[in-house]
Amino acid sequence: MKYLVRSQGFGATVGVIAMLAVFTVIDFSGWWTVQTLSNVTQFTAILALVALGQALVIMTKEIDLSVGSIYGLTGVAFITLEPSLGVPGSLIVALFIAAIAGFVQGTAVVKGELPSMIVTLGGLFAARGIIYVWTGGSVHNFSPDARTHALTRLLGGELFGIAAAIYWVGIISLLLSIMLWGTRFGNRLLATGGSRESAESRGVRTDRVKTAAFVLCSLLAGFAGILTLCNQPQTHVTLGENMELEAISAAVIGGCLLTGGRGSILGVILGALIVVSFRYELIALGAPSSWYITFVGAVLIVAVIFNQKLARFLGHSV
Amino acid sequence: MKIGKSILYSALFASAALGIAHAQEAEKQYRFVMVSHIGSNDPNMNWLTTSLKEFEAKYPDVKTEYISTNNYSVQEHVRLLEQAIATQPDGIAVPIVSSDAFEGPLRKAIEAGIPVVAFNIPDGRPDGERIPYLTYVGGDEFLTGKKLGEYALTKVEAGEIPKPTHVVCASHDSAHQGLKARCAGMKEVMEKAGAKFDELFIGAEPATARNTLQSFLQANPDTNYIFTVAGWSSPWAWGVANDMKLDPDVDDKGVTVLTVDEGPVSIEGVRAGHILATNSQGFWLQGYAPMEWLYWYKKFGYAPQQSILTGPIVINKDNADQWATQVRGVFGDKAYDEQNTW
Repeated sequence: MKYLVRSQGFGATVGVIAMLAVFTVIDFSGWWTVQTLSNVTQFTAILALVALGQALVIMTKEIDLSVGSIYGLTGVAFITLEPSLGVPGSLIVALFIAAIAGFVQGTAVVKGELPSMIVTLGGLFAARGIIYVWTGGSVHNFSPDARTHALTRLLGGELFGIAAAIYWVGIISLLLSIMLWGTRFGNRLLATGGSRESAESRGVRTDRVKTAAFVLCSLLAGFAGILTLCNQPQTHVTLGENMELEAISAAVIGGCLLTGGRGSILGVILGALIVVSFRYELIALGAPSSWYITFVGAVLIVAVIFNQKLARFLGHSV
Repeated sequence: MKIGKSILYSALFASAALGIAHAQEAEKQYRFVMVSHIGSNDPNMNWLTTSLKEFEAKYPDVKTEYISTNNYSVQEHVRLLEQAIATQPDGIAVPIVSSDAFEGPLRKAIEAGIPVVAFNIPDGRPDGERIPYLTYVGGDEFLTGKKLGEYALTKVEAGEIPKPTHVVCASHDSAHQGLKARCAGMKEVMEKAGAKFDELFIGAEPATARNTLQSFLQANPDTNYIFTVAGWSSPWAWGVANDMKLDPDVDDKGVTVLTVDEGPVSIEGVRAGHILATNSQGFWLQGYAPMEWLYWYKKFGYAPQQSILTGPIVINKDNADQWATQVRGVFGDKAYDEQNTW
């Protein structure tokens, strides 16, 4: 219990418990159904993957506004290149494109000493523009062969009635947790965001750490785009539009401090669950779907206040 | 004699001056700008850009420009419009996506002598209140929803599809008054037929839109008609209903899906039996005709006396093959197949 309270994901845990309690009281029969939970968790998994990458960047005291466009660009590359490269080939090339986008942006931030908000805002527009030019306004579908390809099923199918994306987010969050809390790189990543000067004085190459965080962030966003399309190959050039805002919200609600150095993998997943659940339940209750944005805004502000107070209570300077 | 010579020189000078002026008028190049909300994120842009090319080929003294937003933002559209006006073109064609937002810049342009033709979406206010553009060329968005709804009811009477109980109009842009009018047309017909009606903002991002629509269908299990007000979102709606095992194909049970536009995705949806019907609002004409009216107005002072409606026409399984041939002819086979996202 003490560990849980000290965890940066404590706020999100409390938030999820409160949210589930409220949904149970007001809409028990609507919320606790297999279809509802399946829909919510599947989309949570996709958003969580994008938000996990975002969290890594935020932990280094930077931000990545391009994740929605990278999610879209990678997905579009995967589906567009498939006829000529096949499913495995297009998967590799699409992820390579995502990694390059992350590397270029990360390098521009650390070498050019530019604000990440501006660099990745440029990345957001540039990647979206490439999608428009590349596709001419419409993204065609997977061929029937590609849809039944073993790799497509592995990424977008189901196992025991549970969507593959949920397994993937489980595996990746486990790997990220090990990386963050059990490896030197994770330690350096948190140190870079916590106090760059201090980290550098101990020999940490903070520029490399930040670049790696941007690459990981873009790779995770791109992978989420590919998982989405393997599950639902009918798409559009708007793939990933405004997703960056939801991803940042999920990361912040999940306990990531924009001042860097702190965050929680579990918290980010719970943050994504809160964001997706609110949209789902508001519509189910008959509220206009555009209200969802207002609710996310309100939850975001409450989460920031709570997480900052929690960090101060635990003696961290934020 | 001296006076006679002077008169002769004056007459020669005057005729020369008139001749030069006339020649200049004859050689005058016009520049018309279409400021659209149908950007490269929307396959319908091809109709407009193709028709502008054909217009330029027919009228070599006109240069047309097509500029558009790529996101569904009224603010972005107004900004583009203001930029276009600042370049002082000889004419502007623009859809009135929001009367309030477009009122200021368009009135200024018209006062500055730039003729404006509204296309695709008119100013829905009464004559005395609306923006004083030359004319409107386009479909009637209200009629689009209404005619599609009426068509569906004829099929209900024939026993081919289920009677509507609850209809949801899925829209990707909550500020677009043309899309609202489409929903309103469908609403009028469906409510008269005794069905419940809801308008749902699903957004333009595919995964979010699916998630939103699925939430709605889950919470409203009596919904048996989905009307998507963009052709490209119809496969998403069909996909969600199919995943939920709601039998969305066109038959006498389950969910019935209707959509709009004469793009490949809509037409192929009808041909495949996924979509009951779609419509054409004459997109090609909406590119060509506004330019022609601007040209005739600038050149000869013509102004049409009323709006020019280019649609809607219902596309269903009986005429979808003809439409497919027609659209393939305009877009080409490769582009047509690429845009078929089913």
